[in-house]
Amino acid sequence: MSGTAVDVALDVEFFCDWMGRLARAIEESCDELTRLDAAIGDADHGINMVRGMGAAMDALSSVPPRDPGSVFRTAGNRLIAVVGGAAGPLYGSAFRACAEALGSAPVVSLSRLAKALRAGVNAIQRIGAAEPGDKTMVDAWLPAVAALESTGHEPVRKAAAAAEAAAREGMLATIPMRARKGRASYLGWRSEGHQDPGATSTRLLFAALVDATR
Amino acid sequence: MIQSVDRAIRILLALQDERVLGVSEIATRLGLAKGTVHGLLQTLAAHSLVEQDPTSGKYMLGPALLVMGNVYLNSHDLRVRSLRWVTSLGEGTGLAVRLGVVVWPDVVVIHHVGPADVAVPVSEVGLVLPAHATALGKAVLAFHPERHQVISEPLPRLTGRTVTDPAVLQRELDDVAATGIAFEDQEAVVGESSVAGAIFDRSGQVVGAVALVVPAEDGGIAPALVAAVRDTARGISRELGAATWPGGN
Repeated sequence: MSGTAVDVALDVEFFCDWMGRLARAIEESCDELTRLDAAIGDADHGINMVRGMGAAMDALSSVPPRDPGSVFRTAGNRLIAVVGGAAGPLYGSAFRACAEALGSAPVVSLSRLAKALRAGVNAIQRIGAAEPGDKTMVDAWLPAVAALESTGHEPVRKAAAAAEAAAREGMLATIPMRARKGRASYLGWRSEGHQDPGATSTRLLFAALVDATR
Repeated sequence: MIQSVDRAIRILLALQDERVLGVSEIATRLGLAKGTVHGLLQTLAAHSLVEQDPTSGKYMLGPALLVMGNVYLNSHDLRVRSLRWVTSLGEGTGLAVRLGVVVWPDVVVIHHVGPADVAVPVSEVGLVLPAHATALGKAVLAFHPERHQVISEPLPRLTGRTVTDPAVLQRELDDVAATGIAFEDQEAVVGESSVAGAIFDRSGQVVGAVALVVPAEDGGIAPALVAAVRDTARGISRELGAATWPGGN
């Protein structure tokens, strides 16, 4: 790594590309998300997320966003409006909190992105009252955000990869957990041995971030 | 209380929580000697209330409990008399309907009709929900004669909207007691709201509640849905012999 810290400047195109890649990844994983949710939820996570990200992409292409914050705001608003269950309010509020944190900055540094995503996961925890270990999307979000925060001035690609790896690890760690929040918590021990669908879609968010840095 | 009966029941409850447990695990959990636990398990196994996994030697709940559970459901007056009401509330609204009784701190679902838009709804009969965070639970608790003693400790937080302060919940229950109708706005799980009506028997005691589960994205609970729940709860209460219902007939 070079000794001179060169902070990256992520622009509105980057964020649109990120959302587009997330939408495609969600679509490709729709069946898997539904299968995971059928085991411990109400089997609608895949279809809900596909519908929500589809609506987000439609909105982003019909009114091109001015800045990175607007990308998150538009996507968040659409997710809240069209996605049922817990996923809409949780992802939607997270994206809106990210938008809030980014303000109208035309370009975003890595550390600013980390701050925005921290605001996002804070919103999720505020709404869902989930703590680490409750077997929710928080178990993937928190380590991913922490990984981004600790990367400082590394190349964006490397930082994103670290976040994705952390999200993936967090996602896999939900498998043996007993759900303590959300519908899955109604199942008690029956939720053990199943990967959390929300943590799985969260990993896709960070995987799409890695793809966008290619 | 008969000590050995109490211990046997606590073994059943431990197995309900953990599904599979060995003799020493149960002994540790209950603070009893292994020999005592072993004897109790032998007795329960003789009545098929527990059974032993032949490979691991560990214990789990037995088939006699399913038989008992079914007898409970089929002889439960509230449930039997509510069936057609619950079905028609589900058909009329297209939403999921739950019928529940309160075993504080839980609500146990004793009948359930899935939402119309789900092809293969999962049965929620036997599901245990947090009473303080559900419309079902609040509808019943509001008429619980000792609710001020029962609800006194801080309550578990399940979402950002859960009412955890017992004093705040008591005030909400005062309102429910005046109308017979309780609401819940994503207090148990994010994305799910609910409205419930209390059900009374001929003695005027609250015996359970019926609830409509409303997706939060519908943006609030329409007055027509509240009216449908009220009519259902009042109708079931009347069928059970209740002379009056809160807010008049």
